[in-house]
Amino acid sequence: MKKGQKLPYAEKNFSLWLVGAAAMHVFVLFLAVSFQLWDAGRHPKPKIVTVTLVSLPGSGASREYSDHEGAAGAVVAPAQAAPPPPVSKKSVKEPVPVPEKSPVIPKKIAVEPLKPKVVEKKPDINQALLRLKQNVDKKTAQLPKPSTTNLSNALDQLQQKVKSAGEGSGTGSGRGQASSSAGRNGVGRGSGGGGTADSYKVKIASIIQQNWAFSKQLLKNSYGMEVYVRINIVADGTIRQILYDKKAPSEYLNNSVKKALEKSSPLPLLPKEASGGDVWIGFVFTPEGIE
Amino acid sequence: MLDSRLGILGLLSDAGVVVLMVLSVLLSFSIISWAIIAYKFGYLRKSLRESKAFLDYFFEVHNIDKVFTESENFRHGSLPRVFRSGYIEYRALGDKGDIRLARARIARAVKREVNAENKRLSALVPFLATVGNTAPFIGLFGTVWGIMNSFHTIGLTQSASLAAVAPGISEALIATAAGLAAAIPAVIAYNSFTHKIGVIERDLEEFSPEFVAAFINEP
Repeated sequence: MKKGQKLPYAEKNFSLWLVGAAAMHVFVLFLAVSFQLWDAGRHPKPKIVTVTLVSLPGSGASREYSDHEGAAGAVVAPAQAAPPPPVSKKSVKEPVPVPEKSPVIPKKIAVEPLKPKVVEKKPDINQALLRLKQNVDKKTAQLPKPSTTNLSNALDQLQQKVKSAGEGSGTGSGRGQASSSAGRNGVGRGSGGGGTADSYKVKIASIIQQNWAFSKQLLKNSYGMEVYVRINIVADGTIRQILYDKKAPSEYLNNSVKKALEKSSPLPLLPKEASGGDVWIGFVFTPEGIE
Repeated sequence: MLDSRLGILGLLSDAGVVVLMVLSVLLSFSIISWAIIAYKFGYLRKSLRESKAFLDYFFEVHNIDKVFTESENFRHGSLPRVFRSGYIEYRALGDKGDIRLARARIARAVKREVNAENKRLSALVPFLATVGNTAPFIGLFGTVWGIMNSFHTIGLTQSASLAAVAPGISEALIATAAGLAAAIPAVIAYNSFTHKIGVIERDLEEFSPEFVAAFINEP
């Protein structure tokens, strides 16, 4: 009887302690979370300072060295960082002494394809665009303004040339034809290159898409999942360099892009119009596909 | 960035079902352990303190009626309880002429109360031992499961970079940490309580015959 009276008291006492222990655990958890938040606030993440290396003209750096860096996309970062289609980079790349390497590379690639070098670049695109605009403005300001007299002179000269060419072809032979064909060649290269490059781009995009092993379901969040990447393709279709303009927050997406590009190399041969050097082509990889 | 800010909550929200189950089991173990620790700590402390004070009084005063009256002030002590049960049995004896029979009956009543007191003292304490032994293994199970899942994901993503591997392992290791957090206090408390209970039990064994003799030899 006595025990019967005591047990409920002991049980009640224990229940109180149980509630107290649960409250203590909640309190400890709350303390831990608030301490983490407080600690995170006390040590804010340092701001990222972007430092761009610039090679000054006439400095100690050799031309070869600067060219090499230009190929890697580090020194001329402001000019190259612009997001527009990288085919235009070709004009920037022209001074690179490619012909020395190009005869050697195809031999190697026939046996073992070159592994593309991946260069990660910080996303300072806006800054680079601003600099580019400033440079262009300066250059245009320095150029002499074309006067109306110069223009009319040029038109006169052109008319005279056309007349003389007509006379040449009428009277005789190869001289006139030779000059006109040279002219046609020049035009053809400039305008036709874009068309072939577009079809070539579509072609390699489909190849890369086929080699791209990626599952959208493995991404927890698809917000901001875009990879801006540029590839440098040499004449034989080998991807020489992969350049990330913008990386996605997911390492999985970034790695899958890299693997897809590595797997796709060597790509089909560059079109003849683009021969004589390498080509930069840019792609945007999203979970939905390649743009 | 957001996850790293949230810390513990971020890890919990990303954890799998099995790891969450393991964590909830460990949390309940921890809550019950701490409740037992707090309850037993007060109970044993009071018992030890009152038993000591009662023994001092018992050896000072030789009148068992007075001792019994005083023992009512020590409701939580083990020795006063045993004394009271012996005294009740002694007073319930009708014929006190047969000393041998009286001694046997009182001794039986005292022994019964000692047994009851031993059970009362050691109640809930084995749970602490269970938590101390099993919680690390339960936590380890959660960790192993989490790492298994992590490796599975690595296989699917085909990426073994640190960014892909580390979050999964970090989520998995929280189970081991929780297991250790539940087990360590339980083991410490278990050792402390076992020692205190041993001290009280020795007192009960040593002083029970003294109580019986005091009743029999009462003038």
